[in-house]
Parts: sequence; structure tokens; C-alpha cells
Amino acid sequence: MRRFLYENGLGLFFGAIFLATVIGQAFVGHADFNHLQAADQNAPVSLGRYVTSSDFAADVLENWQSEYLQFSLYIFGTVWLLQRGSPESKKPGEAGPGSDEDQQLGPHAHERSPAWAGVGGFRQWTYSNSLIIVMTSIWIASWTGQAIAGRVAYNAEQIDNREAPLNLLSYVGSSDFWDRTLQNWQSEFLAVGSMAVLAIYLRQRGSPESKPVGAAHDVTGEEG
Amino acid sequence: MSPRRLSALLACALIALALGGCGRGADERTVGSVTERFLQAVEAKDGAVACAQLTSAAVQQLESEESKPCPQAVTSVQASPGPVRRTAVYITSAKVDLTNGESAFLNRTSAGWKLSAVGCKPQAGKPADQPYDCDLEA
Repeated sequence: MRRFLYENGLGLFFGAIFLATVIGQAFVGHADFNHLQAADQNAPVSLGRYVTSSDFAADVLENWQSEYLQFSLYIFGTVWLLQRGSPESKKPGEAGPGSDEDQQLGPHAHERSPAWAGVGGFRQWTYSNSLIIVMTSIWIASWTGQAIAGRVAYNAEQIDNREAPLNLLSYVGSSDFWDRTLQNWQSEFLAVGSMAVLAIYLRQRGSPESKPVGAAHDVTGEEG
Repeated sequence: MSPRRLSALLACALIALALGGCGRGADERTVGSVTERFLQAVEAKDGAVACAQLTSAAVQQLESEESKPCPQAVTSVQASPGPVRRTAVYITSAKVDLTNGESAFLNRTSAGWKLSAVGCKPQAGKPADQPYDCDLEA
């Protein structure tokens, strides 16, 4: 058990703090929602009703979609784009998908390689891109969910303001949808871009996201 | 709880996340009925029944505007009776459109769905950008 915790600490830690924070968000979001309900002379809703409401879903999904977009772009971008001096980047001259030998594909696969790395064709292509396929699919699903749930939450406000509700297509073209979307995107892009650049000059001893503390600033693609 | 019931609840929760709540069909029927009951009561001069369909804020607004108790004041509300054409429910807010072109707005209060605005007509321009012009509005 202790060994399992030690070997899986990263996934378990972030899984645990995800659950803690999403539960926390449910409780404070519920309190905030009912505060606004009281102001509008609407009945308070139960916690169960709140966590299955579009109000909660839109708040959750607008953040999920931007995180999955960020990592999808980062995974794809780091295949082709370089950043001199950054541990997040491959070395100059290594841009691109790499050779079959480097990637341990086909005849270069070994006995412990995943099965689809050793076969050719569609299965090998799919497995070679499986990380970005899944991350992008989650991004598209959560962004779609944001649009569907965000429209319902927006229309509730529209009706409280005695204004006409929007259909899904109109909502996707609305300033509310793009405001929710872009305010999340800009923060994600800033964070990931600044990490790639700051890691040229700054270090965190022991972290694979950093170069070794003593590494030169112009050394690229070296992790500490 | 049986696995089948648990699965149904989970499926309902997931669909609810996307669509805005289980049991929305029942809410749509209720908001239509509340609106029709109000309009029929106004037409029949049954002030008590009509007032019972309004939010407390709408009752206060009406009494303040007309300087009379709601059951007497409500019969002067200009809201044309007509069959319900469409209902739209979003969380605890709803809009009911009538075939005569008028709309009503409702909120789910502690006492159930109640009308917060009646006799509403869209103003010139895009209806989504401008509030409806209502004969009674809380």
C-alpha cells in the first residue's frame, strides 16, 4: 500500500485535490446561487438540484474546456515548436514527430512496447497520437457542454431581465459565450507560455519541469 | 439502491448537467397551467384565484400601482387570454408565449411557480436585447 502511494503520488495527489476543490466549489456555488435566488425572490434550491443544474455545469465545464485545450495545444505545439533554453522544448534540430527508431515503432518496438506501437497502419497512427486525440476529444466535449449548459444559465438571467431566451446557435455567437471562453483561454495560454519562457532562467531543484539548477541558460531540453 | 436505479439516477444527473435539470417537462406543463389559470381568472373576474398565481412582489407592485387590494386590482390587468403556444423553463425562471403574441414570465418561488410579469409584448428591435414591455411586472 505504501509503495503504491509512493509510486502513484502525483496522480493520487491531484485526483484528491480535484475532488476536494470540486466539492468545495459545489458548496460555495450553491450558497452563492441561493443568495442570488433570494435577491430575485426565487425559491432556494437544494444542493442536489444545484449540482445537476446548468449553472453549476457551465461554471465547471468552462474551466475544464480551457485546461484541456491548453494541454492539447501544448502537446501538439511542442512537437513542432522550439523554445531555446527551455526544459519544455526539444533541442534545436529535433522538431517534428521523430523517426520510427527514436519512437520505438514497427521493427524498432521491443517486447515491452504497447502492442499497437509494433503494428503498422491505422492502429499505429492512432496510438502514436492517442494522447492528443483523447485530450482534444475531452476539450471538444467539455466546450460543447459549456455551450449547452451556459445557454440555459444565460437564458435564466434573460428571463429574469424580461428578455427573450436564445437558441443554441445564437448563444454560441453571443458575447456571453465568448466572454466565458476567452477569459479562460487567455489565462491558460499566459500560464503555459510564461512557464516555458521563465524556465529558461529560473530553476526548481528536483522538478522535471526545470533544468538542473546548475545548467546554463542556453541549454535546451534538459530536465533536472 | 439497486444497480439499475443507481444507473438511472446517474444517467439522469449526466443528462441534467447538459440540459438543465430532470423533470423539466413537468415544470413546462406547470408554468403553462399557472399562466392559463391566471388569464382565465382575470377574464372571469375571479380576483382571488388570479392573485394566487402571482409572486408576492407582483402582488405588491399591483397593489401599489392601483391603490387597492390585489383581488380588486388584478381584474384591471391588460392581459389577453389565449392558448399557450410555447413554454421555456431555465432553472427557476420560465417564459410562456401565447398564441396572441403576448408573453408571461414566471419564477419558481417557495410556493411553486408564480407569475412575475404578465401582458408582455416585445419592444421594437431584437427581443433578446431589450426587455419586454409588460402590463404588470414585479
